[in-house]
Amino acid sequence: MTPIQQQVKNWLEEKRVDIFLAYRILDGHPLPHAFTREHIEETAELVTGPARYSLEKFATHIASRYPAARIGMVARDCNQRALNVLRVWNQLKDGQVETVPVTCCPSHLHHHADCSYLEPHPAGAVKQQLGQAPNQSLAEVEAQPAAERLDRWLYEFQKCIKCYGCRNICPVCFCKECSLEHAELIGTGHLPPDIPIFHLVRAVHMAGRCVDCGLCEDACPAEIPLRLLYRKVNAIVKDLFDYETGSGDTLPPFSILGDKPTMSPMPLLAAAQE
Amino acid sequence: MTLKRMTFLQHLLAFLGLEGRLHLEWISSAEAQKFVATVTGFTETIRRLGPSPLRTASLARSENVLTAPMRRSGCPGLSQTVVPEDGTKIVNG
Repeated sequence: MTPIQQQVKNWLEEKRVDIFLAYRILDGHPLPHAFTREHIEETAELVTGPARYSLEKFATHIASRYPAARIGMVARDCNQRALNVLRVWNQLKDGQVETVPVTCCPSHLHHHADCSYLEPHPAGAVKQQLGQAPNQSLAEVEAQPAAERLDRWLYEFQKCIKCYGCRNICPVCFCKECSLEHAELIGTGHLPPDIPIFHLVRAVHMAGRCVDCGLCEDACPAEIPLRLLYRKVNAIVKDLFDYETGSGDTLPPFSILGDKPTMSPMPLLAAAQE
Repeated sequence: MTLKRMTFLQHLLAFLGLEGRLHLEWISSAEAQKFVATVTGFTETIRRLGPSPLRTASLARSENVLTAPMRRSGCPGLSQTVVPEDGTKIVNG
């Protein structure tokens, strides 16, 4: 047994957690799996490695159905940031999820990386000529003339087949009703979907939420450089509000009135007390 | 909150290449002149910027999804007539 398999087994046996989310080899593929005390022997099949999934998304589903459940999961840095965001947005309770840290992937929100799993492939000839290469820096995108930049983004967006893969995989997409499925906001029945509205609506909703895990870009069958777009979203939030998403437990700027969360009485109340 | 959201959106739109087309102003119902000045001023700004590139892009898409970026990069658009060197005429789309 590897040390992590032993640790998970111990945690379940000691009742430190009721359920443990990790990966298990099934038919040769590492798939997300919930390990439980009832099937403790499965912990021998637990694997870690480059496989990634938004396990914290499962955690929120489990927590909403079984609020008392103690959940364990393996966590890269991106998982950890997503857990922070989900706690800030009241999707998980403090201390409800215990994590076992595992090797992480690179991200701009994390200044050290041990693996290069998600470094995007260099763009092919067509993408270089017409689209936005996913491995550009924001400065490189901004150096393009505005009209060309728009054309390039529209080329990327018009490939969209509206599969909702980006939203479905997103660890911090937890809304019960999604604007992307609101027929009056985004027209239905044609492809590509309304562009750039479809992608902008999602981008706006990522403000103060996106943890730069890159799963959306990974999931996108049309290879739209979504991570690049949301990196700009994060950069704007950082520049304007000095807020680093997923880094701590302060509320994001769009969830509070004013610049900083405050516990002082509202102006009217303060005046009444004087 | 509105100010925060709108400032964010202005930056995001600029990143996509749509700068200067979004404006936010607080105007009281008692400030008719400010309203007139703001609307007139912004109308002029928009006029100077010209028609929305999204409008022309969506027109181009209705012909063919690829023509707009291809026109920019000098590729022969799919709706254009291409004459190869041997003189035979090929008409696409």
